[in-house]
Amino acid sequence: MPAIRNQIRELRALREMTQQELADRVGVTRQTVIAIEQDKYSPSLETAFKVAIVLGVPIEQCFQYDPQGKR
Amino acid sequence: MATGLSYREKSLYASLVAELVVYGPYFVLHRQNSVNKVAGMIVTIIVLQIILQSVIASLTRNRVTDERDRLIELRGYRAGYLTLASLMVIGLGMLWIHAAVGHLPLESRMMGLHFLSVFFGMLVISDITKTAAQIVAYRRAL
Repeated sequence: MPAIRNQIRELRALREMTQQELADRVGVTRQTVIAIEQDKYSPSLETAFKVAIVLGVPIEQCFQYDPQGKR
Repeated sequence: MATGLSYREKSLYASLVAELVVYGPYFVLHRQNSVNKVAGMIVTIIVLQIILQSVIASLTRNRVTDERDRLIELRGYRAGYLTLASLMVIGLGMLWIHAAVGHLPLESRMMGLHFLSVFFGMLVISDITKTAAQIVAYRRAL
């Protein structure tokens, strides 16, 4: 399991938001959103906050840290 | 251009194609290298890159780059630098051995051309490594 996991896909689906819409509002590429959702890329703190703000949830609801996970 | 590739990825593929098309024949076909050929090669790659990058930019609506692109770029530069540093050690060692065993005196004109060819080759290989490392990083999602 990766050290940083996220619920972006589920939160985005609840809001019927596409990956491109989220990417545009956060200011990243759609490929970066895909990489984050697949737990292949851990975003910077700034991007993580922006994602949480766009999805309208606290950051800890979007991202979770698992100390036992692989970095 | 509605593909799964980002603007940066398309740009990298174009760079790799340009590098292989221009440098490939130079190193595979040409036995005798000269200053003029190297200069011609550099002009050709610059012109080809400008054309390819302009076409990609005009065909791509969303030209956003972000923190992941910058991270991948840095990884590419690291791979390119490590390659260049390694090749410098190997290349200089080989030239020194050539000179030491008397195949080519250090002060000869041919030695100068050998230096030029070897150093240009190192730059080309490290540049291709940099581009390829970035493409691999994109394909692996990072």
